[in-house]
Amino acid sequence: MSRNVEGATIVAASLLAAFAVALVNFSRGETVDAQVGLTFLVFVLAFGGLFVAVNRLAPKATPLLLPPIVALVGLGFFQIYRLDPDRAGLQRWWVVIAAAVAVVALVLLARGTTSSLRRYRNLLLIVSVGLLLLPNLPTDWSFPLKGLEVNGSRLWIVLDTGTPFRMQFQPAELAKLGLVIYFAGYLADHQKALREAFRKIGPIRIPEPRQLIPLVLAWGGSILILVWQRDLGASLLLFAGFVLLLYAATGSSGYLLTGGLMTVTGAAAAAYLFDHVQRRMTAWLQPFENYQDEGFQIAQGLFALGTGSLSGAGPGLGRPDLIPNAETDFIFAAIGEELGLAGTVAIIALFALLISVGLGLSFRSRDTFRKLLAAGLTFVLAVQVFLIVGGVLRIVPLTGITLPFMSYGGSALVGNMVLVALLLRISHEESS
Amino acid sequence: MNGPIRRTAIGLFTCLAMLLAGVTWYQVVRADELRDDPRNPRGVLSERGKQRGLIVSSDGVVLARSVEDPTDARNYVREYPQGEAFTHLVGYSSFLVGNGGLEAAYNNQLRSRRDLTISDLVSIFLGRDLRPNSVEATIDADLQQAAFDALGDNRGAVVALDPRSGAVLALVSKPSFDAEVLLGDDASIRWESLLADPSQPLRDRATKEIYAPGSTFKTIVTATSLDTGHAGLGTTFDDPVEFQLPGSSATIRNANERACNDGETATLLQAFVRSCNTIYADLTIQLGAADIGITAEALGFNQDIEFEWTIPRAVWETEQLAQDPAALGQSGIGERDVRATPLHMAMIAAAVANGGRVYTPYAVSQVFDADGGVVRRIEPDEMGRAMSEETALTLTQMMERVVTEGTGRLAAVPGVRVAGKTGTATGNGPFGNPWFIGFAPVDNPTIALAVFIEGTEASGESAGGGSVAAPIASDLFDVWLSR
Repeated sequence: MSRNVEGATIVAASLLAAFAVALVNFSRGETVDAQVGLTFLVFVLAFGGLFVAVNRLAPKATPLLLPPIVALVGLGFFQIYRLDPDRAGLQRWWVVIAAAVAVVALVLLARGTTSSLRRYRNLLLIVSVGLLLLPNLPTDWSFPLKGLEVNGSRLWIVLDTGTPFRMQFQPAELAKLGLVIYFAGYLADHQKALREAFRKIGPIRIPEPRQLIPLVLAWGGSILILVWQRDLGASLLLFAGFVLLLYAATGSSGYLLTGGLMTVTGAAAAAYLFDHVQRRMTAWLQPFENYQDEGFQIAQGLFALGTGSLSGAGPGLGRPDLIPNAETDFIFAAIGEELGLAGTVAIIALFALLISVGLGLSFRSRDTFRKLLAAGLTFVLAVQVFLIVGGVLRIVPLTGITLPFMSYGGSALVGNMVLVALLLRISHEESS
Repeated sequence: MNGPIRRTAIGLFTCLAMLLAGVTWYQVVRADELRDDPRNPRGVLSERGKQRGLIVSSDGVVLARSVEDPTDARNYVREYPQGEAFTHLVGYSSFLVGNGGLEAAYNNQLRSRRDLTISDLVSIFLGRDLRPNSVEATIDADLQQAAFDALGDNRGAVVALDPRSGAVLALVSKPSFDAEVLLGDDASIRWESLLADPSQPLRDRATKEIYAPGSTFKTIVTATSLDTGHAGLGTTFDDPVEFQLPGSSATIRNANERACNDGETATLLQAFVRSCNTIYADLTIQLGAADIGITAEALGFNQDIEFEWTIPRAVWETEQLAQDPAALGQSGIGERDVRATPLHMAMIAAAVANGGRVYTPYAVSQVFDADGGVVRRIEPDEMGRAMSEETALTLTQMMERVVTEGTGRLAAVPGVRVAGKTGTATGNGPFGNPWFIGFAPVDNPTIALAVFIEGTEASGESAGGGSVAAPIASDLFDVWLSR
């Protein structure tokens, strides 16, 4: 796919978003208004700008990454617009900001190479942990930066200067990237030791206890997030991403096994100890039996998907507004109701394309750090998609995590666009 | 390092495949089940504002129609122009409280199949008609309104059937309500206040409630007696003032507290015409629970009757009564645990009128498409034979005597031969529940009906089947036969 085709596809995906917004207007009997043109303009300018920046700053990057992302953001945006036009207005700004941040990230990365990140990894670790801790700031102090608890989870910070300008942010979305960079750097340095430090007891290979320290630390960190911030999703995502990367770096299935056991133990203990985890388990196992309380959201999500059936109700013609948190955690079900199986399969296929491109990058990378970084970023993306879509589909318990590129929310979009910028830059460097 | 990455990739794509399997499971395999789950409000919500088909009566009166919403030209609103007399049969289609009556039973025909989706285009391409179908009810609008008016201030029900087919000619439950109050945004509040109304207007007394049938049940006992040859018209019985129930200190007396005839003997005919409880309790015990059960079950007792909706089972507890002759004696006069809907009692009158053949009752005769073409025509369905033709003929003679010289004299219509049976079942407190079942004209019956009154202050403490229910039947025979 040439650059021209990539550009044309980005324009086409922007048109898709605008067309979906027009259909929502139409099906509601409203006049097709300025929202349509505005949507098209914002998408073309934001992603067109990013496209131009990629051409200058990472000209040899793969052309297969941006088009599916524009399509995913567009589909998500249309559903947010359909559910809540006011929020869509905000989300439009976030699209611009996220694209701009991605451009800035490309500019910064172009000053050196992605490999320079490896040197800053300890700094990134400290920054990331700091970011993760930010939501635990007091809510009621006079300092303008405050922590915020939403729906029982403490994963927001709010910049409240007392003026009408007020900004909320989920720092975990950026910390996620910093941690992946740290993991990739750490593992690139220590992979040999981690791979070979096994003790043989009969036919079983047991890792040296000392080499399990990073695994235990990551596990402990995840448990802390779960306890302090009640953020089941981020906790699980970070730990799973780390374990997969550890396995990729060492090839030792012992880590996979140990990590899996730790996940199960942690989850079982959490379900036993914490009420909010217990409720999610109940909702997962028996949504219809607990329709009036815990199971309501999942049951409504399944009703939405079932009613959507093959071709969906049509944009603006379903009732996804009946699902609690439809524009964030349950945007997949909302789109499934209005676009049907056609829409949900398309979304899964677009993510599959992104994951293949990311893994392909990792596969072909000659530099160990870049190989692990591309793999880690892709793992985190893939695990996140599986956790939330699988949660909606009752394959795994619902963890309350956003669907990348599609859910309403600025921090997630910014974080994921930076992730894309990193992948683009790795792609460029490996082709050079 | 590529080895483990490849294996992880395989794992991740397996996860994506699971997601694909998941969406297919919920959006294809279980899609219909989820869509139709009663807890899923989407179906009813999406019907809001869409055009629905017509419901018309057999004489061409519009009972339900959709008209353009004057405030929003893209939407339709439902109208029920004939008002509350028709509500329990026609029903309602409300986006807030759901559907009822024929609106619910024929929802799949009456609803628009236009979904405003891509599938519409496919359907149009395939030449399918997306416009809603219309339904023709079997009821006669004049008779229905007459039945509602004839009930006056009483609570109760009237069901009239065509004995030759089982088609419903009128089906009224009173008090009723205007279905249009359930269509607005305040439907939930209106529903709650209807639920709280002590006169219980939401209750369909004609087809969804079972009541003790009282002496109208003597028709079934008589049919059993005639069929088994146990006792005929002229068979004589002892004629005490009170009948001692075996194995019990309780007695059974007649309504007037006197002997049936002369205090010595009375014939079966006399006992039937005068509705004598003493003799019928005696006869019932002589016949036994099992034989009466055979007749009752042939008339649809103890089984589901597939009307437009399933009507509650009529009750005759054969096994229990076989053990308890005292209870059996009381059951023979339609008390104790014997129960039936008014619709069911009309079926019994119709079976006698029809020479013993029982038809499944139905209320819709045809379904039309939007161009008036017949989509479906409902044929009468014979359930079977409940009594021999000879028995039906003899029973008809006896029922005619009830109207000419017995308890049902007020059901008479000048110039018409009417057959019937009255009843007054135990009701609430001091009030009895009056009944009348019957048919006309005797030589070629075209209408069979059941009138049921729930005893209240409106009907009065002295009200009986002969005084309150029989005159209503007379009115309706007159309206029907003088059309």
